[in-house]
Amino acid sequence: MFTEATAPGVDRPRPMAPCSEGPEPSKPVLVLGLGNGILCDDSIGLRVVRAVRRRLAPTAPVECLETEEMGLALLDFLVGRRDVVLVDAVQTGQIPVGQVQVIEGSELPALSQGSPHFLGVGETLALGNALGFPMPQRVRIVAVEVQDPFQLSLQMSPAVEAAFPGVVDRVLAVVRDLAGA
Amino acid sequence: MNQEAQAAWNQANQLANAAYHQARRRVTIDPITRLEGHGKIDIWLNPEGDVERAYLQIPELRGFEVFSIGRPAEDMPQITSRICGVCPTAHHMAATKALDDLYQVEPTPTAKKIRELVYDTFVMEDHALHVYILGGPDFIVGPEAPAELRNVVGVIQKVGVDVGKKVISMRRRLRELITYFGGKVIHPVLGLPGGVSKGLDPARLPEFKQLAQDNLDFALFTLQVFKDIVLKNPDYVKLITSDDYTHRTYYMGLVDANNRLNFYDGLVRVVDPLGKEYAKFPIQKYRDYVAEHVEPWSYVKFCYLKPIGWSGFEEGPKSSVYAVAPLARLNACDGMATPQAQKAYDEFYQTLGGKPVHHTLANHWARVIEMIYAAERIVELINDPQITAKDIRTIPTRKPSVGIGVVEAPRGTLIHHFETDDNGIIKMANLIVATQNNAARIAMSVDRAAKGLIKKGMVSGGLLNKIEMAFRAYDPCFGCATHSLPGHLPLTVHIYDHRRDLVQELVQE
Repeated sequence: MFTEATAPGVDRPRPMAPCSEGPEPSKPVLVLGLGNGILCDDSIGLRVVRAVRRRLAPTAPVECLETEEMGLALLDFLVGRRDVVLVDAVQTGQIPVGQVQVIEGSELPALSQGSPHFLGVGETLALGNALGFPMPQRVRIVAVEVQDPFQLSLQMSPAVEAAFPGVVDRVLAVVRDLAGA
Repeated sequence: MNQEAQAAWNQANQLANAAYHQARRRVTIDPITRLEGHGKIDIWLNPEGDVERAYLQIPELRGFEVFSIGRPAEDMPQITSRICGVCPTAHHMAATKALDDLYQVEPTPTAKKIRELVYDTFVMEDHALHVYILGGPDFIVGPEAPAELRNVVGVIQKVGVDVGKKVISMRRRLRELITYFGGKVIHPVLGLPGGVSKGLDPARLPEFKQLAQDNLDFALFTLQVFKDIVLKNPDYVKLITSDDYTHRTYYMGLVDANNRLNFYDGLVRVVDPLGKEYAKFPIQKYRDYVAEHVEPWSYVKFCYLKPIGWSGFEEGPKSSVYAVAPLARLNACDGMATPQAQKAYDEFYQTLGGKPVHHTLANHWARVIEMIYAAERIVELINDPQITAKDIRTIPTRKPSVGIGVVEAPRGTLIHHFETDDNGIIKMANLIVATQNNAARIAMSVDRAAKGLIKKGMVSGGLLNKIEMAFRAYDPCFGCATHSLPGHLPLTVHIYDHRRDLVQELVQE
């Protein structure tokens, strides 16, 4: 049976459950890694969040989760949290590979005119609000510029790999800023 | 240096520079080296400034074969389900069926029913999401509505918060059925060669039967919403039937023994632009009928009907371009296997002037009809006395060699093809995702939009929007790597003059 362990250098993803399931009240700050574990650089969000989880104290009011799902799954994760940090791969072509942009959720084109594929963060927030769900007050998106999110590969590109520690540090800084506030 | 040598050197230098710049220019317009990740539209103008050609390039998954070689084929249902965060169940099921074929093993009747039950539940959920959230902004809100309202919030405003909550809650309940059988959505453990890994405990029957009934009510309700809001809006009907996205191509879909649409299994049926059956074949024969054409300017592979041969981005019976997805499936079948869906199907064709319907925007309506079929089929299967039976697997005994599996993914026909050694280790793997089947037709829609809106080098407003609408109507795969941040595939339009110089760039925000 296929397991992550067959691929060197790739951790087993932790179990991921949306906050609405589970007996304990969810922690106020959620760090959510988005991505695809078998599409080369598209796995960066997942890997970064695993690394962030290892660096945070268990007593921190922060929960670190990863998801490979798209669409309305994002809504499940966001509902009921006070603050959310999303980590995701992007390809803008405007900045060097490995560089990070931190975007405020409120700045996103929340209501782009119809998305050709699935809901983006902005739309998900807007949808949750429109339905009267308790949505996070603050959402920060850490967008990592990547080189190749389309190649089937369990490894990331060297340029992205090299930038990895810096990205983790950046996310930690964002998390500490939110959790401390 | 003497004068002659100097002149010769200068001339040579100039030639070298010119050649370098020429080469550079070719390199910068070479699509292979261009940045991927965006829906890239390239428009080439002729010397008069009119459109010579326009193409849409959708990011394409690469390296599938290389990635698969050396892996046990039995891992493929789990691996391939991770390719796409939207359609994991489609890949999982196509791969599982490829394994059935690989090991020449027939799943038990109960296993087939469980698979179809789970599969149709997935199609139902995906379609519902699409109708309300993706297609909704275009047609539930209305084509003439102001831009600020043509989004998911506008949809909620139009249908009401209660309906919005119903969509969310229906989705959760449908997924509970899927995860009951398969565990995690992205790493399902449902399909095995010859069967499934888990049967249905009779204790869960009442709850799932209730879900099936509520879901059918919801599907019929959705049709009513569509009829009330969309079909009663003459602007929208005009838009659906306009020439803009109308192409007279062939259509492909899976059908059962009675030529009725089936998502999970059947023969592949292709009808011509007049609706006559052109071919019907088991998926094992797909390479006799489907081939891939590569245009020199693009790395995208365009599927076409092999026996007819590639003759360009044309429509009509002589052209080999075909389409998949809801509209195509309805065109390719002779009817629906369940009563309410059949009623909706009849109404669809009566309203739009008979079979086949060539209007791409009618895909949204066709999708609602498919929701009804999926919902009715789920009711049938959950009430089938065999659904709780214990014989859920036939153990394979034959040696593996070649396996090809097909399902109708929500976005169209999906094919998985594996070849292995005697131990079931993959030697070759190929994937034809739904959208590849539509790629040529998508290119035609973009081309038509561009030709209509660019004249003498002047670009009319609304070009991006028009192209985006075509994009949404086809609902291509491969949002996968763009996923949640922008949520959409940023569209970039590059317009090149006849000297291949970039003259304009339009970017979708």
